[in-house]
Amino acid sequence: MKKNDSGSKARNLIGHVANWLNPGRLIWAVGMTFFLTGILFPFFWMLSTSFKSYTEISGGSPTYLPSGFQLDAFMELFNPASTPFWNFGQNLLNSLRVAVPTAIIAVILSILGAYAIARLRFPGKEFFLNGVLLIYLFPSVLLVIPLFAMLAQLGGTFGFSAQDNLWVLTLTYLSRTLPVATYMLTNYFRSIPSAIEEQGMVDGASRLEVIRYITIPLSIPSIVTIATYAFMIAWNEFLYALVFLNSRGKFTVPIQIKTIFGAPTPRPNVVMAASLITTIPIVILYLSIQKYLQEGLTAGATD
Amino acid sequence: MEKILNIISRKLFGGEWDTFRGREGRLAWGFITPTGLIVFGVVLFPAFFSAWMSFHDVTLQNLNSVFSAPFVGLENYRQVITDFAFKFQSIQRMGAAVTSIVYSVLSTVLTILVGLGASLLLNRKFRGQGLARAIFLLPYVAPIVSVAFVWRVMLDPTRSGVINDILIRLGLTSDPQAFLSTRGLALVLVIAFTAWRYFPFAMLLITARLQAIDQSYYESAAVDGANAWQKFRYVTIPRLKTVLGALFVLRLIWTFNKFNDIFLLTGGGYGTNVMPVLTYQFAFESYNFGKGAASGMILLGMLVVLLTVYFLFFVRRGEDI
Repeated sequence: MKKNDSGSKARNLIGHVANWLNPGRLIWAVGMTFFLTGILFPFFWMLSTSFKSYTEISGGSPTYLPSGFQLDAFMELFNPASTPFWNFGQNLLNSLRVAVPTAIIAVILSILGAYAIARLRFPGKEFFLNGVLLIYLFPSVLLVIPLFAMLAQLGGTFGFSAQDNLWVLTLTYLSRTLPVATYMLTNYFRSIPSAIEEQGMVDGASRLEVIRYITIPLSIPSIVTIATYAFMIAWNEFLYALVFLNSRGKFTVPIQIKTIFGAPTPRPNVVMAASLITTIPIVILYLSIQKYLQEGLTAGATD
Repeated sequence: MEKILNIISRKLFGGEWDTFRGREGRLAWGFITPTGLIVFGVVLFPAFFSAWMSFHDVTLQNLNSVFSAPFVGLENYRQVITDFAFKFQSIQRMGAAVTSIVYSVLSTVLTILVGLGASLLLNRKFRGQGLARAIFLLPYVAPIVSVAFVWRVMLDPTRSGVINDILIRLGLTSDPQAFLSTRGLALVLVIAFTAWRYFPFAMLLITARLQAIDQSYYESAAVDGANAWQKFRYVTIPRLKTVLGALFVLRLIWTFNKFNDIFLLTGGGYGTNVMPVLTYQFAFESYNFGKGAASGMILLGMLVVLLTVYFLFFVRRGEDI
C-alpha cells in the first residue's frame, strides 16, 4: 500500500477518529458512560428532588429540573412555623451527639488497645486478636435482641432508661467500630520502627509519654482515618437506633428520615432534602481524607 | 504476700510483679481492658445470651425479669421452622430461608462482577481518573438510608416515578409498574441495589491487586501474540483468584447478615423477606423475643453451614481463600 498523500483534511480527521476509536476504547467509553450514569443519576435525582416545590412533586409526570432552588422541603425540615414541622435540626444534633463521642472514644481506646497488641508482650494476645475478628461473623440483628432484653433488665435494676438513651447507642456503636479500629491501628503501629520509641524510653520517658509524644504524632493519618470511620458508622447506623429510640425528640437522622418517608402524604422532596443533608457531610469528610480512607474502607468497611 | 502476687502476676501478665515484663504485662492488660469489656458486654455476652433466650419464652410481659422466663426447649425453633414466612412453599413463595441464600449468593456474585468491571475501567491512565474513582466510591460511602430512599423515590409505582416515566417515554411499558411490590421483580431489584451499593468495596480490593501485577507478564504475553482477552484470561484472572475468593467469603457473610437494605427498600414484602428481616419482625413487631432469638440462631447456623460448604467444595486444599 502506498502512503496516503491525498491531503484531504476531512479524510485525515476520519482516519484520526477511527484510529482513536479502536474497539477497546469504544468498550471502555461505553462502560464508563454506563457506570457514571448509573452512579450519578440517583444522586442527581436526590439533589433535584430536594429543591422541588409542592406543585412540582404532585404533578402527573416527574419534573426533571426544578424551576429554581425552591426551599419548600427545607422549610418543612427546619422552620418551626411551617406545617408539618419536622424539627430536623434536633435530629442532626442527636446524630452528632452519638457520632462525635463514638469517634473520640474509639480513637482513645483503639490507640491504647493497638499499642498494647503491637508493642507490649502479654499472654492471651493472640486469643484477644482472634476473638476480636470473630465479631465480623455475628449479625447485628442477632445481637440487638439480647441487648434489648439485657438493657431492659439492667435499666430496671439500676434505674436508667435504655430506651431513648443516646449513650446506649454510643456504646453499641463502639462495639462495632473498636474491633476494626484496633486492628487497623495495630497494623499501623507495627509499621513504625520500635527503635524510635526505645530511644525515647532510654531518654527516660514513660510508656504513656512515649505514646503521647512519639507514637501518636507519627500516626496522625491513621488516627484521622479511624475517627472518620467511627463517625461514619455512627452517623449512618440504622438498626440499633430503630430499636432503641422511641420518641421523635431523640431520633437520629436515619430514623427521622424513615419517619418522614412513612408520613401519610408522600413528600419525596422533604425525604430527599433530608437525605441530601445527611449525605453531604459524609461525602465531604470522605473526599477530604480519601487518600487515607481507602485503606480504611478495605480493612474495615461499613459492612 | 509478695510470693502470691508474683505467682498471680506470672500467670496473668507473663512476668513477676515488680519486673519490667510484669509491669509491661499489667500495662497491656490495662490498655486492652476497656475495649475487651465493651466487646464482651455488647457482642460476646449477648451472643451467648441470645442462645439462652432462644430456649426460653421471652415476651414483652417478662422482659423486665428476663431470667425468670420459662424454659420451653425447642418450641421457639419449632415455631420458626413451621412459620409460613420461613418455609419454602413454591418458587413464588420461597420463604425467608431460601430467599436469604438466593439473595446473598446472587448479590455477592453480581457485586464482585460489577466491582471487577469497575476496576478494569479505572485501571488505565486517563484524564480525570482521580475524580472518576471518587465518584465510583459514592454509592458505598453515602448513608444507606439516603440511597435506599432515593431508589424508592425513583422507582415510585405511579406515573410520577422517574423510572416509570423513562420506560413509558421509551415505549417499553404502557402502564406504570409497581417495581418494588411485584414478586420476582422486587427480588431482582433488591439484588441490583446491593450490587450497586457494594461494588466499590470489591473494586477497591481488586484494584489494589491489579496494580500489584508485574507489567512484565503483560509484555511477555504481548510478545507471544496474546490479544486483550487472552491477557485478561491467562494473566490477570489467575492473579486475582485469591482476592476474588476472599471477597466472596467476606461479602457473603455481610450480605447474609444484612438487614438495612431490604428492610428499607421493601420492608421484607413481595418475596424479598430474608432471615435478618424476619428475625427483626419476630422480635420487634410481634414482640416474641424468644422466637426472634431462635430465628437469629438459625440465621447464624445457616451462615456457618454456607461457609463450610464453600470451603469444602469450592476451595481446593493448599489454596488459601
